[in-house]
Amino acid sequence: MYETVVMRYLINFLIKYSIVLLFLLLEVVSFRMLIKNTEYQRNVFLSSSNSVVAFFYQAASSITDFFKLRSSNESLSEENTELKNQIMSLKKELEAAHSELSDSLNHSQYVEQEYRFIDAKVINNSTNKIQNYITINKGERDGVRPDMGVINEDGVVGVVSTVSERFSVIIPVLNPKLQIVSKFERSNYTGPIAWSGEDYRYVNLLDIARHVDFNQGDSLVTSGFTTAFPEGIPVGTVEDFQIKDGDPYYNIKVKLAVNFRTLSHVKVIDYLFYFEQKELEERTQQ
Amino acid sequence: MFHIVRHLLRFVLLILLQVLVLNNIQFLGYINIYIYILFILSLPTQTPKWLILILGFLLGLIMDMFSNTMGLHAFATALVAFLYAPVIHLFVSSEENISLQPSVNTFGIGGYFKFAVILIVIHHLTLFFLEAFTFINFWITLSRALLSSGCTFLVVIGTQFFSINKSK
Repeated sequence: MYETVVMRYLINFLIKYSIVLLFLLLEVVSFRMLIKNTEYQRNVFLSSSNSVVAFFYQAASSITDFFKLRSSNESLSEENTELKNQIMSLKKELEAAHSELSDSLNHSQYVEQEYRFIDAKVINNSTNKIQNYITINKGERDGVRPDMGVINEDGVVGVVSTVSERFSVIIPVLNPKLQIVSKFERSNYTGPIAWSGEDYRYVNLLDIARHVDFNQGDSLVTSGFTTAFPEGIPVGTVEDFQIKDGDPYYNIKVKLAVNFRTLSHVKVIDYLFYFEQKELEERTQQ
Repeated sequence: MFHIVRHLLRFVLLILLQVLVLNNIQFLGYINIYIYILFILSLPTQTPKWLILILGFLLGLIMDMFSNTMGLHAFATALVAFLYAPVIHLFVSSEENISLQPSVNTFGIGGYFKFAVILIVIHHLTLFFLEAFTFINFWITLSRALLSSGCTFLVVIGTQFFSINKSK
């Protein structure tokens, strides 16, 4: 008898507050997703590499691409010329080296290829959020894996986060979740760069100690400590710096090499010895 | 039946407008317009509360899929969906049992403005502060949220003039 009364109260309570309970449930679910972000980030269905979402983005980008054709053409032809020049000078060097070698030693040097580039088109991109993301039209099928580095002809863009069959999501430099270790090209001092969430043109360089010597306009490149980027890819240049009395570290403002507003084509870097290096590192840690 | 189709159409159109057009517009560097919230603002007042909550949550979840922000929009839209009925009670004195489509025509200009402003500001504040997930740049985040709310409000009011013209 007593139990049925309690049950009735309980049921009444649930009916009376069902809306509030449903509301709380939904908020808890979404808040959990927000906090456990990294777990869900690998979930293809819930990201823009989901094929329905990517379909809309691709359709839309095929329209906007038309307006970007001119500028991307220009930058491509610039890059083309530069590459041709490099090939020419490398050829000369190779010839010179060959003639020297054949004199003294009968030995042909074989240089193994370390990196392969996967060309991709940006189909969605934001610069005005605090956490920005980029979606590209290449995925697992084309050999893209999570944690690969992404660059364009000007410099570092970001790192691959989620990969589906045909699309991938990139965490760009313009996202506080990504801190790329970079170094001064001149002095080799390293520090991570972090975005403050305000201006898409600038990031901050952290952890540069008081004694380090550098100037305005010094260029920053990738350190090559991670498998994502080879050494020496441009990150940006020192725009401004200051240090407060008693602070051990400089406050450095870096102008990014890449213009994220006009991003259209990127290259994903496939480090060919990735698995070998990872396996070796894991074995050492065990 | 016709009403359901119309709301479904509005749902799809607002999401597409948001993700394909407005998410790419960066006004003054800081301002984001989140017009998709207009879907919740234009649900009829007699819609079951649980349905408003579910629809709001779904709307947010779809926005999250498009912008890779897990749970961020869903949290904000569920909050707005929950507050929808109480806010209407606050500002609009309407008789019970009559389902109204919120607009300048039905709520009156003052009533609709207050209703829209409150919900838009709550939505944008939640969204921007959750996105920042810190109070470090408090004033920057606050100004971004409020400026964006203002712009969203203007666009919402803009759509109202369409509906006034239609009814005449």
